[in-house]
Amino acid sequence: MIQKFETIEGRSIPFYLLVFGLAILALGGILSTYLLCKEGLYLTGMTTRIPWGLQIILAVFYVGLSAGSLVISSLYAIFGKIEYKPFARVTVFLSFLFLVAALLSIMSDWGRPLKIFEPFYHFNPISMFSINPFLYITYMIICIFYLLALFTEKEKLVKIIAPVAVIWAIGVHSGTGAIFGFSPRELYCSPLLPPSFIAAALSSGTGFMIIMILILFRWTKRPLENELVVRLGRLLAIFIMVVLYFMFIENTHRYYLTESREAARYFLFGGFHSLVFWVGMIIFGSIIPAVILFSKRGRSIPWLVFSATLVVFGVLCERYIIVIPGQTHPPCLFPNMKIISSLVEEGITTYSIGFYEVLQALGVFGIIGLVFVLGLKVLKFLPEKPNGKSKL
Amino acid sequence: MDRREFLKKGTTLLAGSVCAYNLPSLLATAGELSKPDKRSNLKWGMVIDLNRCLPDCDECVKACRKENNITLHGDKKRDVHLIRKVKIEREYPANSGEKSVLLLCNHCDNPPCVQACPVKATYKREDGIVVVDHHRCIGCRYCMISCPYNARYFNYRENSKWSNKNHPKSVHGVPESCDFCAHLLRQGKMPVCATTCEKIGSKAITFGNLNSPDSEISRLMANNTVKAIREDLGTKPKVYYIGL
Repeated sequence: MIQKFETIEGRSIPFYLLVFGLAILALGGILSTYLLCKEGLYLTGMTTRIPWGLQIILAVFYVGLSAGSLVISSLYAIFGKIEYKPFARVTVFLSFLFLVAALLSIMSDWGRPLKIFEPFYHFNPISMFSINPFLYITYMIICIFYLLALFTEKEKLVKIIAPVAVIWAIGVHSGTGAIFGFSPRELYCSPLLPPSFIAAALSSGTGFMIIMILILFRWTKRPLENELVVRLGRLLAIFIMVVLYFMFIENTHRYYLTESREAARYFLFGGFHSLVFWVGMIIFGSIIPAVILFSKRGRSIPWLVFSATLVVFGVLCERYIIVIPGQTHPPCLFPNMKIISSLVEEGITTYSIGFYEVLQALGVFGIIGLVFVLGLKVLKFLPEKPNGKSKL
Repeated sequence: MDRREFLKKGTTLLAGSVCAYNLPSLLATAGELSKPDKRSNLKWGMVIDLNRCLPDCDECVKACRKENNITLHGDKKRDVHLIRKVKIEREYPANSGEKSVLLLCNHCDNPPCVQACPVKATYKREDGIVVVDHHRCIGCRYCMISCPYNARYFNYRENSKWSNKNHPKSVHGVPESCDFCAHLLRQGKMPVCATTCEKIGSKAITFGNLNSPDSEISRLMANNTVKAIREDLGTKPKVYYIGL
């Protein structure tokens, strides 16, 4: 099947408004990062006990979206499902951009964001945080070659690069999971975290791509077979079950062992994060969309979009409950003793997201959003329409 | 200038400025800062006798702040305390009385912070002291996540006070932890907490060379039951306590 691709015209008022809106967000993020660099990170919600906040939550979320987005392109490039070819270019492009977003989120969170080359000068092979930049950069390079192969229609090259990209994406996400899983904190330390990160990545990536494909193709008035998206929905339902399985095993294990039971109890029933876990991730982010997607309603596009949105929201909640409770829960310094007074926060503590952190997060979204829409205008990412270009 | 040329020049300029910004730290790594102390017969350690530590005394904490130019901003959530005092109580038997414990970096032999640091800015010197190279640090705070003792602090704000002009004050954006007053050790002096405690007569803090059998710290450890905090974690802390 010969499939031709084209750019979008990008001359409509909604397009310009979108570009303007994204540029404003990007500018807000840049200014916010500059201010935090100049004044100090005390303007954020982070504290001595909570040194990682919103940017790290989003970085992990973006890495997941990046790895997951690649699944759709692999349906065509690895499994030979030619009907998914129209989505291949745009999904690889998004996968690349999400990784850029993850890197931007991490770097804007540093106390010294301009020291971007330092991890390359002084590579520490035993630090998970040092290994990850290499995985990210190499993954981005692979994505660029993958895109080049897709653009030049070199089928053989695509068949070689696609599996490499998927394997690397698994490595990238396992590496990100290991940052937490290999940390000596009761609620982080788990060998199951890297594979469970991959499951959540597949789930959020597929959910997000369902939404993106529908928005892109419907908005630009391109023909789209509903069946293709419905099949993605089925795939999504399976990914949700895998995520739930990992969550179940991880928490049961933690609760079963007496040494981690107190931490597990805090995680499951200990405050706001527990609400995020049960209501956000389990009920709204997993059970409701799984029920919809496995039922007949899963064939209806509005219900599919609704479920996909819930899944993406659920994985965002999952990222929150991975990053934050592991820090708010205190390490046990004195077994069988309790700390009754201190100069600093010693017990269970809280984290509230700061205004400047939100600006930074929106800024990262604005930057990759801007590159994405301008990319659609400059490069041929979307399939050609039967009746010529749309204005958008 | 056409678009292609603009992009080319812009990228070159950006890459050039970032390289120029990073150059001093690159050069610094080639210099003294990254070199560990070669006095390998030394293994610095500390013993804190909780029976001698006065419950309401915080002279060592104040002296540490002054010596290391630490500013308090009245923000309990973010203020830096290279050494802090906590009061602890046994769960059983109830009302068994409280104890004051000084907490600081344990200068572990297996330091998780050193393992975690992505740029090797945190490293362990051959004399056992775990230090942070502020010139190299990127401020990612993974060391704080990795420290099981909550002994690391981040300079969320600029340190405004510069009470000790012989020692640089830290800028914001980098983590901080006790380095056994490495700048004083270089001059043949003891850490300020130990000298202050001795000055006020408590002598609760003993600092010395763990490798020397004749040192006071070795004698104390030989004649008393000493414990370190959470030794079960395998970190091999080098701050020991009598009476914990």
